[in-house]
Amino acid sequence: MADIAAAPEQLVKAAPPRTRRRLLSRVPHLVVGLYLLVALAGPLLIDYDPVHTSLTDRLLAPGSETSTGATAWFGTDGLGRDVLAQIVYGARTSVLIGASTVAISCLVGVVLGAVAGYFRGGVDAVLARVFDILLAFPAILLAIVIAGAFERSVLLVVVALSATGWITFARVTRGVALTIRERPWVDAARVLGVPGRSILVRHVLPFTAGPIVALATLEFALVVLAEAGLSFLGIGLPASTVSWGQTISNGKEYLEGQWWISTLPGIALSFLIINVGILGDQLTARHRRGRTD
Amino acid sequence: MTKTREYGRSRLVRLAATATAGAALLAACSTTTGGDDADASGASGDVTAAGTYPIESLDPHGAQGASTGTQLAGQQIFSRLVKPDPDGTLKGDLATAWKPNKAVTAWTFTLRDGVTFSDGSPLDADDVVASFQRMISLNGPNAGNFPVSTMKKTSATQVVLSSPAPDASVPGKLGTFYVIPSGVGKDDSAYFNHPVGSGPFTVDAFTPGESLVLVPNKKYAGNKPAPRRVTVRNIPELSARMTALRTGEVDILWGIPDDQLASLKGEKNLTVRTVPSSAEFTMWFNSSTPALKDAKVRKAIWQAVDFKTIIDKLYPETGRAADAPVTGVVLGHVPQPPVAYDAAAAKSALTDAGFDFSKKLRLQFANAEFRPFIQAVVSDLQKIGVKADPLEKEQATFTEDLIALKWDINFQQLATPSYDAASNLGRLYTCEANRNGYCNKQLDALLASAGATADKQKRTDLYGRASAIIWRDAVGMYPMSVSIAYAWNSDLKGFTPDASGLPDFATVGTGGS
Repeated sequence: MADIAAAPEQLVKAAPPRTRRRLLSRVPHLVVGLYLLVALAGPLLIDYDPVHTSLTDRLLAPGSETSTGATAWFGTDGLGRDVLAQIVYGARTSVLIGASTVAISCLVGVVLGAVAGYFRGGVDAVLARVFDILLAFPAILLAIVIAGAFERSVLLVVVALSATGWITFARVTRGVALTIRERPWVDAARVLGVPGRSILVRHVLPFTAGPIVALATLEFALVVLAEAGLSFLGIGLPASTVSWGQTISNGKEYLEGQWWISTLPGIALSFLIINVGILGDQLTARHRRGRTD
Repeated sequence: MTKTREYGRSRLVRLAATATAGAALLAACSTTTGGDDADASGASGDVTAAGTYPIESLDPHGAQGASTGTQLAGQQIFSRLVKPDPDGTLKGDLATAWKPNKAVTAWTFTLRDGVTFSDGSPLDADDVVASFQRMISLNGPNAGNFPVSTMKKTSATQVVLSSPAPDASVPGKLGTFYVIPSGVGKDDSAYFNHPVGSGPFTVDAFTPGESLVLVPNKKYAGNKPAPRRVTVRNIPELSARMTALRTGEVDILWGIPDDQLASLKGEKNLTVRTVPSSAEFTMWFNSSTPALKDAKVRKAIWQAVDFKTIIDKLYPETGRAADAPVTGVVLGHVPQPPVAYDAAAAKSALTDAGFDFSKKLRLQFANAEFRPFIQAVVSDLQKIGVKADPLEKEQATFTEDLIALKWDINFQQLATPSYDAASNLGRLYTCEANRNGYCNKQLDALLASAGATADKQKRTDLYGRASAIIWRDAVGMYPMSVSIAYAWNSDLKGFTPDASGLPDFATVGTGGS
């Protein structure tokens, strides 16, 4: 009986304090913030030319001294290029492409989704079928086709990834708009003669912000991963633009002896994806809590 | 409720962990099984090889006819009038004898008796003539060896190859001419899915760009091929090829980069050998591009690249600085003065020539293995302000663009399988061939003269003079003579590394068979 009574107390003691949990939940924010800082400020601190090679410094292990007297903290690749610099510059490319793609996808998706959900009728029927058809098409395959068909550039990768990225935003926005349009305050606005466009902007779209922000975070992670995939395959970005995918690809022939070339950018990529994913989950949970409350 | 959810979650985690462990175990089992299969197949006479180039087509007369992959397949499936030994010496294949007329304008080939195709039908002079006409009419890269030649049958076992101008290099150039049955159309995909040939092997299965499975040709006129089955696989990723060799999934591998050779040399069950080849890194300039029309510009760009350092660092074992447009093992090789690296002089010469530094040069190449070399070249060019855009293309696109001159600098590892400069210089550098936009009547005359004499010394002298023009005018950059690194399972018997990267599998036997 005493044991039974003591058990809840032990559980209470074993449970982490609320403040500790709160601190732990901040870790993804800190990590993602750090990546953004590296992407923005890193290139200002580290000089790197992706075209320049230094064959005398090729395949140096992490921490080695280069021919110029500098230290290659993360080692060098098969052409003597600094791996740390490639990670820093690759972060900028990933953040730039991720943010641009998500912004374009979000803009297109939210507008089309809101129009379809709020106005319904024929517009909704056509747009909803378009969403369904495009959603059925493998996104990465379409991106590969687009990226492979034209001259390689950052803009091309953004376009290729945005081509299908907006659909999820459109579907989520449409769902929210379908619900909100039936609410009493929207009916009231309609009865009072407020134009449809104003109702959409003032009374419907604000309610999509929560789920869209959460979705945008998750989409950012997927875009960064897709861009790395395209670069790994050698399509999309030109050789003069540094990308984690390219760096990982450059090192795959040296995995046995010079593991750092592929492994370190791979870890950087994975760490970002995991933390952005957790952050997205947190935002989704916060949105759900807010809606339940 | 919360406890139930937590219990459910932990159960899910356990399930996921179990599933992952199970998957890992299955994967491990499947790898082991694969290895066992490979061992078992090796012991029963199966040989698996992985080269560096995909076999995109089996048509030896078509657009892919000169590609290493198609040549490799062609020599296993079809016969030739003559073929080179691994050291470059010509010997008869379908032909038992060949001789020129006095003017060296007509070569008579006497065919071997009793040769049949794999379907049992006899191979005669009609098939040889029809194959030659097909090769010419398709106008593929091998047709360039015989721009105005004709072939006629003089008897059931004799054909005569005539050309308006004397051509002493005909036997050597015929090393890339394969005989197929008469009646095969220009684009006969049904035939080339299961081609009928008279070579040591027939095709059991072929997936373009992936694999070619060969089985012995029961009607083969020569010695019976030793292996029961030969599979030539294309494994694009180097690390995957290396792993396949180590695990026994692949028995023979070649074209191994220098960085990987050291680790392979430490493997007890592998034999590693490097053989000087007829291949050379060849970087043509497109002389029809306005920016590259001036020979001084082309020479300056050549001078701007520190090829010696690139070779020393990237190809310490398989590379040697080239000293002519063809390598030392090729008839017609005459050393030329080295082009010394001098970035300052190059920049000055380009400025004097009015070179447009803002223009980006399209540097096209195929095959990822050359990526580091190309990037090192691009880096050196950038140091003097010349912008080059490395364009890595898929093999078929590369070949199409190469012929259409859709490039400014073209990189190729160019082999001379006939070991005769006629099939390299004589075929590719004439105005008519227009392979690099360069046209020089004096060079044309020298190449024609070289092809018109049967005297080896005279031919070497003439090709030397032609090489001097090509070198002086920098028709291309010629940085490196290539050695080919081979590694094979030590259990294999009778394997001879080939200097052209086209090994003969007919003599390869497995230890256990």
